[in-house]
Amino acid sequence: MLEINNLNAFYGSIQVLWDVSLKVNKGEIVALIGSNGAGKSTLVRTVTGLLRATSGSIKFLDHPIENLPSHVISEMGISHIPEGRRLFTDMNVLENLEIGAYPRNAWKNKGKTLEHVFQIFPRLKERGHQLARTLSGGEQQMLAMGRGLMSEPKLCIIDEPSNGLAPMVVLEVFDIIKSLRDQGITILLIEQNVRHTLEISDRAYVLENGRVVMEGDCATCLASEHIKKAYLGL
Amino acid sequence: MEKFLDVVIAGLLLGGLYALIAMGMSLQYGVARVLNLAHGEFIMLGALSTWTLYTVFDISPLIAVAICGPITFVLGFLIHRTMFRKLLSSSTNQGIFESTSMLASFGLMYVISNLAFMAWGPEIRGYSYLMDTVSIGGALFGARRLVTLGFALAIGVAFYIFLSRTKIGKAIRAAAQDPATAGLMGVNINMVLAICFGLGAAMAGIAGVLVSMCYPVNAAMGIEYLTVAIIVVVLGGLGSIPGSFIGGFLLGIIGSIVSFIEPGLTVVAYYAIFVILLLVRPKGLLGK
Repeated sequence: MLEINNLNAFYGSIQVLWDVSLKVNKGEIVALIGSNGAGKSTLVRTVTGLLRATSGSIKFLDHPIENLPSHVISEMGISHIPEGRRLFTDMNVLENLEIGAYPRNAWKNKGKTLEHVFQIFPRLKERGHQLARTLSGGEQQMLAMGRGLMSEPKLCIIDEPSNGLAPMVVLEVFDIIKSLRDQGITILLIEQNVRHTLEISDRAYVLENGRVVMEGDCATCLASEHIKKAYLGL
Repeated sequence: MEKFLDVVIAGLLLGGLYALIAMGMSLQYGVARVLNLAHGEFIMLGALSTWTLYTVFDISPLIAVAICGPITFVLGFLIHRTMFRKLLSSSTNQGIFESTSMLASFGLMYVISNLAFMAWGPEIRGYSYLMDTVSIGGALFGARRLVTLGFALAIGVAFYIFLSRTKIGKAIRAAAQDPATAGLMGVNINMVLAICFGLGAAMAGIAGVLVSMCYPVNAAMGIEYLTVAIIVVVLGGLGSIPGSFIGGFLLGIIGSIVSFIEPGLTVVAYYAIFVILLLVRPKGLLGK
């Protein structure tokens, strides 16, 4: 579904991604793990057009997308739920969700999609007319994910959903991500919470200093000495 | 006391115009991040076009609103699509864009103003339209000034509904808060920015039509209204559209009171407010 080949990217004169290749197949949860500053967010920002790669290719459903603007990539069916949630804090919950359905086809179905999103996140329905900024951290993450689903995406890129949340809420978020996959949405999950992520994912890529240092199915990764030492503190 | 009420009503009539002018500028800055120094020139274009339409083609200024509004919208839209979009794509960050776009708009101001001098000459123009007077609470006001206030209020309300109810209005608000994330949601940012710039220009153009109904106009008038616009925009809070709306009326009332006491001090009072505001509350009434 998503195929990244030999991607290089810079912030100013500093190279952040080195020859990164990554593949996400339909129906998978693929985890992208690594520590702070490893280049995880940079990688997904190049996928959704927020940053231009200097070389390499990105294909979505066999179409090259590396030179397309963000809104076109969104229309093609990639939803990027950004790091730090990036809600429209001065708009209410319903308006945030509506903006999520901005692509033309999604807009037509937004009534139905909204019902579906409310089923997954019942609390958003109760909070409908509240400004996004007044929600708790967990609710804000739910809203960010709900907003990301409103475009009826084929691929959901979820960047650090557990960041800053209480442990109980983190478990809830991971459960929901798993249920999204069961509903047929393909997921690329970027996380620092390595254990939980590997438990719900099918395959994983480990990014260190802008390079992919390990890739494989999650059981293999969990068993790896390097992962145990560097990420699981064992 | 009755006299005071008259002064306040006169201030509201003037304030409507200020509010309209400042809302347009606020929209251009708040969303498109262009502090458009050519804003006054769009007012001038609206005003002189209306004069020509009325005196040469006998077209009523009220109809001129429906002509000048769309034309200035298209003009603003195209200017953004060409000049500002190019600057935006070559700017590495927002700060750089804000300064280069302001300088570019400064140049634009001279280009438009000098073209207008070529077309209309330097003469001061005026016409008589809707000269009836209306009595409000005993005081007499020109009907044309009431029309002006009516238009300003109607456009303010219509624009509020547009922003809060329509799809594109919501996209504009999202883009104002976080353009990159709005893009991720499928909003075509460059299009939204150009629409905002066009709408801001159209508000200036319509304000120009209204100005020409009440005051003499000429090709050099832009700068005077630009100054008012900048003061109101800072007063209301840079980029805050409701702030500009309220600020416009506030400055109108203050101006009216000061000119009642000492007409020569009106402009002085405007600048004094501007300076004090920057020192005491630089974020303005509703700024963040």
